[in-house]
Amino acid sequence: MIPMQHFLVLSGILFSLGVYGVLARRSAVLILMAVELMLQAVSINFIAFAVYLAPDAFVGLIFAVFVITVAAAEVGLLLAIVLRIFRNQATANVDEVDVMRW
Amino acid sequence: MDWSLLVPEYILAGWAAMVVSLDLFWGRLRKEQLAYVAAAGALTATLVSLIWVNDSASFGNLLQVDNYTTFFRVFFGLIAFVICLASAQYVKDRLLHPGEYYALILLTVIGGTYMAAAKELLTAYISLELLSFSLYVLTSYAKFDLKSNEAGLKYMLLGAFSSAIFLYGMSLVYGVTKTTSFAGIASALSGDTSGIAFALMLGIVLMIAGLGFKVAAVPFHMWTPDAYEGAPLPITAFISAISKAAGFALFLKLFGQALLPMADDWRWIIAGLSAATMILGNLVAIQQHNIKRLLAYSSIGQAGFMLMGIAALTPHGPSDPASALLLYLVGYVITNLAAFVCVIVYYNQTGKDEIADFGGLAERAPFLALCLTIALFSLAGMPLFAGFATKFILFQTAAQQDLLWLSSIAVFMSFVSLYYYLGIIKQMYLVEPTEKARLPVPRMEYAVVAVLIVGVLLVGLYPQPLFNGVENATSALFQITQAAAAASAGL
Repeated sequence: MIPMQHFLVLSGILFSLGVYGVLARRSAVLILMAVELMLQAVSINFIAFAVYLAPDAFVGLIFAVFVITVAAAEVGLLLAIVLRIFRNQATANVDEVDVMRW
Repeated sequence: MDWSLLVPEYILAGWAAMVVSLDLFWGRLRKEQLAYVAAAGALTATLVSLIWVNDSASFGNLLQVDNYTTFFRVFFGLIAFVICLASAQYVKDRLLHPGEYYALILLTVIGGTYMAAAKELLTAYISLELLSFSLYVLTSYAKFDLKSNEAGLKYMLLGAFSSAIFLYGMSLVYGVTKTTSFAGIASALSGDTSGIAFALMLGIVLMIAGLGFKVAAVPFHMWTPDAYEGAPLPITAFISAISKAAGFALFLKLFGQALLPMADDWRWIIAGLSAATMILGNLVAIQQHNIKRLLAYSSIGQAGFMLMGIAALTPHGPSDPASALLLYLVGYVITNLAAFVCVIVYYNQTGKDEIADFGGLAERAPFLALCLTIALFSLAGMPLFAGFATKFILFQTAAQQDLLWLSSIAVFMSFVSLYYYLGIIKQMYLVEPTEKARLPVPRMEYAVVAVLIVGVLLVGLYPQPLFNGVENATSALFQITQAAAAASAGL
């Protein structure tokens, strides 16, 4: 059987890629994709822990299902907001959405 | 499972559906009447939740209905009640689709309540997202207003990012403790944790980052000024009240119950965050010229003070810090709502929200100026008002738990905050108004402001009843921890 560490390293890499994407990308849609990557890293973590450490309890698996569900809702909501901005300003680039400044 | 424990939330959800369908199917209903319907729903749920005073029951190990939950049910219900009433005029004049607006406010209350009631990580996460999603939509509710769109985008992007971080922290804590229930985590952490120290610490730090975002702690505060400025004004008030209060309800539950055995490891992190938050929030507030942004930075500063209550928690210490924190939270929310309702009234009549626009308000609307002055003095922590009593108790409690340095910074920063609050008061009383005409007197809003100001004075002068309520709430919180500790000691 594959050792659990492999899954954790994979999820760590995915999570870091996601964080990098959020910080480096300028398009709202790409930032959203990077956040999805982070959420999938979380799901991998939960499933790996559930299968290897607590095989008789389903908490981790249920958690992963909920994470996926919430992520889907998040996409819907954010795309609605991005669409609104695109209609009003014809851009989805977070750099150009800067009516407010400190 | 005893489904009747969730009746207040059934009422809120049902009422939300009712408000939407009323808006949809009853064309002759005037739009501001929806506000009163929604407010009645919030009030009904609040009153019904009083059934569970001094009760303690668990809903399938997911939710705990005890004094802590009841306290927050009442607290959030009343916040929504005030916000609905304060929105009536604003929504009628400036927003489309009032039905969904009020329904979302009621749904937010459910999210906030379950954050306080959660007994395990998954429930806490789902309710956090319910609260956040409703607030994202409400923030970007003014569809054709560029500022509102932008505020919603920034709030939502950073919110999604931070909840992913929060989740990763949760997954690590789940991995090392093999359970998601708060009591289970506490008993797993009471034993030897040397083998799992690194993963555990990483998990805790990530969870602090995720929750720090919700309560707008530095360095996770970037969304706050923009979301506050762009959101419709009543929603700004709502975010400043419920997002912060619910964030701290969960913060306290998570760190006061589940992670309490590790307190010595995370206390210094929170203390550092608290110091950074109060310093940056209050210093940046000085140079703001928009009243929404000023109140945003002031609320960041206030979050710094509240974090002191978390930093002062100790594994075997008294529950005083938690009580002081809840007391401060109530004082802050009442005062902040009073200030915001005054700003809403002014904005409804003039459409202006720069601080310079408040020039000569004392001549144009003396009652409004007086109420705003009281609210600002209370936020700054002047005696007589809620701000002083609650600040005094919180700072004193922190000082007793070896955080004298933090208390000293907090006292100093309170003086700094007085400076920028006085700037607004100076505008209202010493500057000549550009227009002389008296502002009209909206009865509804003035009544709400008056009630809130009475609340500010009541908490300031006679905090004992509130203090008793808060003590009951926090003792329910710590009973569970002590029971878990006793159980693990017995093993």
